[in-house]
Amino acid sequence: MAHPAPVIEITNLSRRYGKTEAVNGLNLTVRPGRCYGFFGRNGAGKTTTIKCLLNLLRPGSGTVRVFGLDPQTDEVAVKSRLAYVPDAVAFYPWMTVRDTLEYLASFRTHWNRELENDLLQRFQLDPAKKTSALSKGQRTQLALIGAISPEPELLVLDEPTSGLDPIVRREFIETVIGAYQSGDPERRTVFVSTHLISEFEGLIDEFTIIEQGRELLTLEADAARDRFRKISARFAQAPALPPLAGALRVRQTGRELEILANGTSDQLMATLRLLGPEELQCEALTLEEIFVATDLLKKAMA
Amino acid sequence: MIFQIDFKAGKPVYLQLVDQIRYAAAAGRLRPGEPLPSIRPLAEELRVNRNTIAKAYAELESQGVIETLPGKGCFLKVNSSPFTKPVRDKLLLTEIDEAVVMAHHLQIGRDKFLALVQERLDYFERKSTQHDSAE
Repeated sequence: MAHPAPVIEITNLSRRYGKTEAVNGLNLTVRPGRCYGFFGRNGAGKTTTIKCLLNLLRPGSGTVRVFGLDPQTDEVAVKSRLAYVPDAVAFYPWMTVRDTLEYLASFRTHWNRELENDLLQRFQLDPAKKTSALSKGQRTQLALIGAISPEPELLVLDEPTSGLDPIVRREFIETVIGAYQSGDPERRTVFVSTHLISEFEGLIDEFTIIEQGRELLTLEADAARDRFRKISARFAQAPALPPLAGALRVRQTGRELEILANGTSDQLMATLRLLGPEELQCEALTLEEIFVATDLLKKAMA
Repeated sequence: MIFQIDFKAGKPVYLQLVDQIRYAAAAGRLRPGEPLPSIRPLAEELRVNRNTIAKAYAELESQGVIETLPGKGCFLKVNSSPFTKPVRDKLLLTEIDEAVVMAHHLQIGRDKFLALVQERLDYFERKSTQHDSAE
């Protein structure tokens, strides 16, 4: 099984609202068992893409396949195998936590009661409480229980932790790692759109950065941290710099130098070593820093 | 065992775990027969993908550092490399060469280099026996 069938396959997807191209020729492939990050600025087209996966929107052109199926024609088959946590969760306000979970379970052929109870206890959610009385954090927790209890093959998260306090965010991620991912690792795929990237850093296997509806960068997380590096150097005197190939950004203040390297950190380090620095360091950029550096990358590619 | 993950280290996270476990074994902090943390709680604690931990353990198993007992978990093995002696020598030489090259560029001479190696060997031996007598 070198190449298992992808869980999500998006080919040349476009979708416009009036004259605005929200998604414009997007390609993306998510393999099973992975945690895939989908990063982009506000308005980059993340939510539009996710809505096309869930058949909440129809693609203008291009194809979307989930488990190899078309969400438009095989909506039930697709939706029965995935769960979705949006950023703002709405429940029927007259229902209690217990009612809501029963209601959600009634749509599912499989529902893990033990897991549901574990999570209710972990989050200390009172099953008798009305959903209208829940805080934003508790609503998200309830949505997460509703998404994980059916043990779906694909968990789609759209800005799941925005607006939550740090402790709830932490618990949310631990739950995705522990309760969800550990169940049957080969059949547990996560697709998460977020701009709180640092919290998901350890979870992300691979990611796509989307910009103006197009894919700007797709990389494995380890490969990305290997490719994008920050080099800091200090010299006895302000040096005259030779050409620095692959430098996304060079900042020099007197004797100090900072370079963002795009795949050429080894060569750049060698070049700088020849200048006899007093201090020379190289560290990987975090995924969040890489995301922030995309602007520079875009200019470098243009 | 306490692990330190650093995303800025520029080394894949699973290799950081591999290195730390190998180091702990060499320094006697982890002894043969002792269990490694289970994947799920460790993944939750470090907030890394469970695949990352599984990959680290698989790597350690292929290096013959740990063994997996079905249904029981992973355990540190009695120190026995699966490689033949010539392969072991060659693997170590590659690492030594790197240190030699580094020493050259840092202008550290032969005597100082050898003294440092002695010192590190003593350090690990001392640590290892300390942990033994602490039992």
